[in-house]
Amino acid sequence: MSSIRLYMQGMKTSIAGRMTDRTDFLISMLIMLLFDMIVPFVTVIIYSTGASFPGWGLYEALLIQAIFLLAKGLSFPFFFGMVWNTIERVRGGTLDILLVKPRHPLFMLIVTAFDAEDLGKLLGGATLFVIAISQVEMPGVLEWLMFTFLLMMAVIMFFAFALLMSAVTIIWIGTFRVYELFDATTYFTLYPTSIFTKSFRTIITMVIPVAAMGSMPAAVLLGKPVDGVAVVGAVVLIFLVLSYRFWLSMMKNYKSAGG
Amino acid sequence: MIIQVDNLVKTYETYERGHTFKEAVKSLVVRKKKIVEAVRGVSFNVEEGELIGFLGPNGAGKSTTLKMLTGVLEPTSGHVSIMDYVPWKQRKAYVANIGAVFGQKSQLLWDIPPVDAFYMNKEIYNIPKHAFLETLEEMVELLEVGDVMRKPTRQLSLGERMKCEFIMAMLHRPKIVFLDEPTIGLDVIAKENIRGFVREMNKKGVTFLLTTHDMEDIELLAKRIIVINHGDIVFDDRMEVLKTYLGAKKMVRLTSEHPWPTDWEHEAIILQKRYTEHNVELELDLERIRLADFMALVQGAVGVVDMSLMDIPIESIMKALYRKDLVPLAND
Repeated sequence: MSSIRLYMQGMKTSIAGRMTDRTDFLISMLIMLLFDMIVPFVTVIIYSTGASFPGWGLYEALLIQAIFLLAKGLSFPFFFGMVWNTIERVRGGTLDILLVKPRHPLFMLIVTAFDAEDLGKLLGGATLFVIAISQVEMPGVLEWLMFTFLLMMAVIMFFAFALLMSAVTIIWIGTFRVYELFDATTYFTLYPTSIFTKSFRTIITMVIPVAAMGSMPAAVLLGKPVDGVAVVGAVVLIFLVLSYRFWLSMMKNYKSAGG
Repeated sequence: MIIQVDNLVKTYETYERGHTFKEAVKSLVVRKKKIVEAVRGVSFNVEEGELIGFLGPNGAGKSTTLKMLTGVLEPTSGHVSIMDYVPWKQRKAYVANIGAVFGQKSQLLWDIPPVDAFYMNKEIYNIPKHAFLETLEEMVELLEVGDVMRKPTRQLSLGERMKCEFIMAMLHRPKIVFLDEPTIGLDVIAKENIRGFVREMNKKGVTFLLTTHDMEDIELLAKRIIVINHGDIVFDDRMEVLKTYLGAKKMVRLTSEHPWPTDWEHEAIILQKRYTEHNVELELDLERIRLADFMALVQGAVGVVDMSLMDIPIESIMKALYRKDLVPLAND
């Protein structure tokens, strides 16, 4: 309970801070949303020329991207800010301040990094999702249940990636480029897995299960054949555990800034 | 004993590279490893309610020691017991009982008023509402920040911000507070307010470990001084003992009738500064010359118009301590 209260207080102070410059807040939110809408926009252009992903209609393809944006919207405002928070704090030496607080340092990194601007992603993702789902056949209860499970896995994958990036920047100070690596990796979940070769499909489902972040939940919602949902769930959890252990080991080697 | 530090050692690896382009390119492939011994076997104890000045030149190892004592860093070897906790092993439980003020690292939130940050601390430390409000009221009254704490932090002066940093560190009623340069950049009045607050809290039984380069902080607050240099403790005793460190020396500011001789040489009277031909500052060694003899000597040599006798500034003692290759204190 006290952790929830603390998180809510962190959220409140972060929103209060951003509200001091509302114009900047709204513009930043809009720019981020527009940036995230580029891929769906390109998809619409592709389909309008008559081209398509084999076996996937326009709204089905948009559903993948909507789910990815929805998962991003559930992750970025609420915990993903820990990545930039870690980079800035390690560089400036203020991670020490979080370490003298009687809370888990990871939790403190999350609590002090709530990013209200990214709520635009959640809004955009939800809107795109509603538009896309309203244009396809309504899924059954089982599909909705499997989708909910995979959406949770998608958010967990975002959390695991955030842990990896945060961990890397604890030791390799100021490594802003890690985000580009993450961006490139997750790009593969914005399109149907069926367009990739079998071996590559194995990589994005069983090794680094980025497929769980968009294409797979969309496929189950649309009732398309998807193999090994439970196995992918297990791989996601293993990925999370390994990421957390990696974060802890990097934290153990934290050297602090001088002075 | 509230703090027990025994043979604390911290070494870490770093890499060296030159400043030229060639060396920079070379360092991409091969880097020369360097082992830095930041802290080399530091030992000391602190009694409950003490206010200790923890001093040393830049790079002496005091910040590294402080980071180990606050549980931020794990030492390479050695033992620390603070309130029966090992800081880096029982970090969460331990830090709930300590406070820290970092003069150069703010705990406040830039865009929002300090009072919001105080409420954040209330949740971090899980302080009951009644206790929180009671402590806040007491601190606000002591530091006179009633209006200040409701303005956005970025609109506050450095002194006002520092007062709020102190409230942040004290809200959970810590037993020990680590202060790292708490008066850096403050004006005289703000410094006095902060010092008064520290003194007041110390009277109430809070133990303070104060790191600073401001010797006035030390003179006005600390009863005991620990000086660290090159990772070793080179002095650990009361302020009075530190003042006699350079022997029975005094500083003399003299205005003379005739110019002070340019070729002045005397083993007990050292010319420190020549402001003008008639105004000089001298260091007097009273173990070698009596005050009366000194007066007679200068009266005869240059004629005394005005003279003031002062203690050696603490800065001079510190400079001597920092400069000398002192033998580290033997561990008890």
